Amino acid sequence: MNSRHSNFSFCSFTSLFFRYGYILVASLLVLLPLQLADYQQIFVAEIFIWGLFALSFSLVYGYGGMLSFAQAVFFGFGCWGFNVGTFYFDFSIWGSLVCAFLAATVFAVPIGFFATRVRQHHFLIVTVIVSVLVVMILASGHYRWIAGPYVTRSLPSAPEIPFGFFSLSYANELVAYYFTATMVSLGVFLAYRLISSPFGKSLLALKDNAMRAQLVGLNVNFLRWMMFVAAAGIAGYSGALYALLARYTNLEFFHWTYSGKAVIWSVIGGVQSIFGPFLGTAFYMITNEYLSRYFEQFIVLFGVLMLIILRFAPDGIWGIATRFFRLRG
Amino acid sequence: MELVILLAMNGLFWGLIVALIALGLSIIFGLLDIINVAHGDFFMVGAVLAWTIIQHVDNFWLAFFIVPLVGLLLGAVVERIVMRPIENSASLSIVAAFGLSLIIQESVRATFGATPKRILDPIGVTVPFFDTSYDVYRFVAAFISVVAIGAFFLFLHKTKFGTWMRAVRQNREMAVAMGVPSNIVFMVTFGLGTGLAMLGGVVAAPITSVEFRLGLDVLPICFIAVIIGGLGNLPGTAAAAVLLCFMEGVVTSFTEPTTARIVSLVLMSVVLLLRPEGIFAERKR
Repeated sequence: MNSRHSNFSFCSFTSLFFRYGYILVASLLVLLPLQLADYQQIFVAEIFIWGLFALSFSLVYGYGGMLSFAQAVFFGFGCWGFNVGTFYFDFSIWGSLVCAFLAATVFAVPIGFFATRVRQHHFLIVTVIVSVLVVMILASGHYRWIAGPYVTRSLPSAPEIPFGFFSLSYANELVAYYFTATMVSLGVFLAYRLISSPFGKSLLALKDNAMRAQLVGLNVNFLRWMMFVAAAGIAGYSGALYALLARYTNLEFFHWTYSGKAVIWSVIGGVQSIFGPFLGTAFYMITNEYLSRYFEQFIVLFGVLMLIILRFAPDGIWGIATRFFRLRG
Repeated sequence: MELVILLAMNGLFWGLIVALIALGLSIIFGLLDIINVAHGDFFMVGAVLAWTIIQHVDNFWLAFFIVPLVGLLLGAVVERIVMRPIENSASLSIVAAFGLSLIIQESVRATFGATPKRILDPIGVTVPFFDTSYDVYRFVAAFISVVAIGAFFLFLHKTKFGTWMRAVRQNREMAVAMGVPSNIVFMVTFGLGTGLAMLGGVVAAPITSVEFRLGLDVLPICFIAVIIGGLGNLPGTAAAAVLLCFMEGVVTSFTEPTTARIVSLVLMSVVLLLRPEGIFAERKR
């Protein structure tokens, strides 16, 4: 109903934000860890990583209009690719990060090819079934040759990041924080370039009216496929960052319940935005940290919150915030 | 050979229960255009309620009458409160169903507990079957499923309300113009779908263990059945569910279960790509 209008001013707010607000955000992120204890710095860095994961879901759903439950598979393949890079090829961290990105992308190409070719409703079902299938294959002992022992490997000690003539160690929490923040910002920047490119704009056109987009001459299936692959790459990248920070990878990351978490985070934060998923993730993780001590099943509250947000503010916390600022002038 | 027959029978009986659940998924999809991700959780709630009833009343058969009615009510309320306000957006309704599934799972975990529990076989009689013995309850479960499926189709084709449901599905505007109360039809349809899933939960409760994650395993099988049968095609869905589980049972007797599931998933992919409207659909062009 009012989506067109609000979309327009929302875009201008975003562009304004990207012109000046990024300085504010960047300085906040630089100064924030100085106020935090060591474990809190790691906690915030984890929020960044999961936020990037949620952002990758937003790219598929908010911009591509595809409700994908396979994002977790690509997060998992990111962890896996990172492990393969580190343990099999003996790459440095940079090589392993690239390896993780490539692993997720390579797996996304065939999955996306089939999934984006089916009708809208089938897409969700296909992605759920793909993730069930992947988890089953990786969990059964009979197909170990596919993934090798790299699904559950983790780094034995805090990794060193080589910068040519010197190197920094993840054992220092500040290094871990700043490195993660920088790499996540890089991912956010990539995502931003992606959605503000002609490619991203044509995807939005396609999401609003696929028929019209097709008549204008856009290749609907191909665009969807490419967006699926790009988002998978970002999910894999965030998976590698997680494997680097937490030094822990597991089969559970492949399960579609993890994609469900991305759905919660980005729906609560705001699906069609860059910062919404981060807001939603931060909100969820901080609430989790403080509420789960008193009330273990606090996720019920998030389910209710999600239903309320879907009903009254489908653009999430970020949408509410932008509207608030617009009202203020 | 005995193993093949045994596993095939297990598959067949399990398939009848899955058919019950998948039918619910299919009518909700066909009429309301919602892929109900929470459907597996309604199935789980049915099983949990059956367990609760046994704890309090110590009569399993009572559950067969109470639980579907609870499901009918629950589904109708959910449709009215959660789904109705966002009925115009298919993807929003899927996300809402996912939120619903979270709420259901976590509330069950908070009240029922996280540890799996078992329901004792309510009949407790076995028949000799080749070298092993076979639970009579499985036959009863299959019988109940068949009766429920039959009753559902009778309801759909022989009653006024069933006719309304089919009419709204074919053409909502026209049906409303003819005086069909489409809002009530939607509520009852969602309620019926939920009731079928919860009845499936009761029937399956003595066969599987009861826990709050029960729905996660059933949902993908139901999805596959619904796709192979054709989205919204009710007899096709039921047939596909039975066929699929039967086939999985047979394949399991030759290889291990993972491969059996992979076979059915590959089958589904092939169907999806070659005949997206399901294998039982008539060719339109």
